[in-house]
Amino acid sequence: MLNATEKSVVAAIQGDIPVTARPYAELAARSGLTEEAFLTTLRDLKARGYIRRFGATLRHQKSGYAANAMGAWRVEEDRVEAIGRHMAAQRQISHCYRRNPTPEWPYNLYTMIHADCEANCHAIARAIARETGVDDYLLLFSRRELKKTSMTYFPDDDED
Amino acid sequence: MHAEPPPPLDDTDRRLLNRIQSNFPITPRPYDDIGREMGLSEADVLARVARLRADGIIRRIGGNFSPDKLGFVSTLCAAEVPAAEVERFARAVNRYSGVTHNYLRDHHRFNVWFTVIAPSMEEIASHLAAIREETGVERILDLPATRVFKIWAKFDV
Repeated sequence: MLNATEKSVVAAIQGDIPVTARPYAELAARSGLTEEAFLTTLRDLKARGYIRRFGATLRHQKSGYAANAMGAWRVEEDRVEAIGRHMAAQRQISHCYRRNPTPEWPYNLYTMIHADCEANCHAIARAIARETGVDDYLLLFSRRELKKTSMTYFPDDDED
Repeated sequence: MHAEPPPPLDDTDRRLLNRIQSNFPITPRPYDDIGREMGLSEADVLARVARLRADGIIRRIGGNFSPDKLGFVSTLCAAEVPAAEVERFARAVNRYSGVTHNYLRDHHRFNVWFTVIAPSMEEIASHLAAIREETGVERILDLPATRVFKIWAKFDV
């Protein structure tokens, strides 16, 4: 697991880094580290895969992707691997996961589909259905964002 | 959620947004390094990033983690919530810091979809039990991922 220095670096970069010339020097000072130690630890966390992506997160609704749909697909289990890979290769699909179906919810493959409008989300899903032969699916459009935030790992104070 | 007209982006803004979504430099002067790569001054990069953030196009700049590597687990939940109860249910669910995404979606039964991150599946189960108890919403699907095929790399702007 992570040591105390690594946890403090994770805590420092899980929010929003400063838009100033030397952002890491500022973050390091707040964490009681030198800039050099902070940079070395941060690079190491990224190299070891703890940080899966380091950079800007965009509001996709404001960057040309006004519509997003969650696709829930019912796929034969022996085809999930191949179809999951096929879906993941589409550039309009940002996330693709297999999840266990339940008796009242039989879908087992999930995709987030992004496009400039809902009609194009439907068109993308129809094309995938045609290519894969998987025609039992739902597109669930988001109607309201009720919460969107980043996880707070290792807060300074104890968790509630 | 009504999309506001997107503020105009010039080609340099677009190049910058495509550049900074991943592999943001971990160097003493990251904005200067981005500027060198793109043929811009550090001051220009800082001014553009500050504007794109103020305009809401950039939500944040920072790290995105693999919960499992940090010792956490996650799941996707879907709840069947009467329309009149959505606000109250959302307040109850959103109180948990591990609930990072929560959307109202257009399904006739399972209309509220949220993600939960916690140190263990047992903790998630106990959160869900408390949410059921508090809100009276009984039907909550708990759908942890068993296989990840893709997690968002970046949006071409």
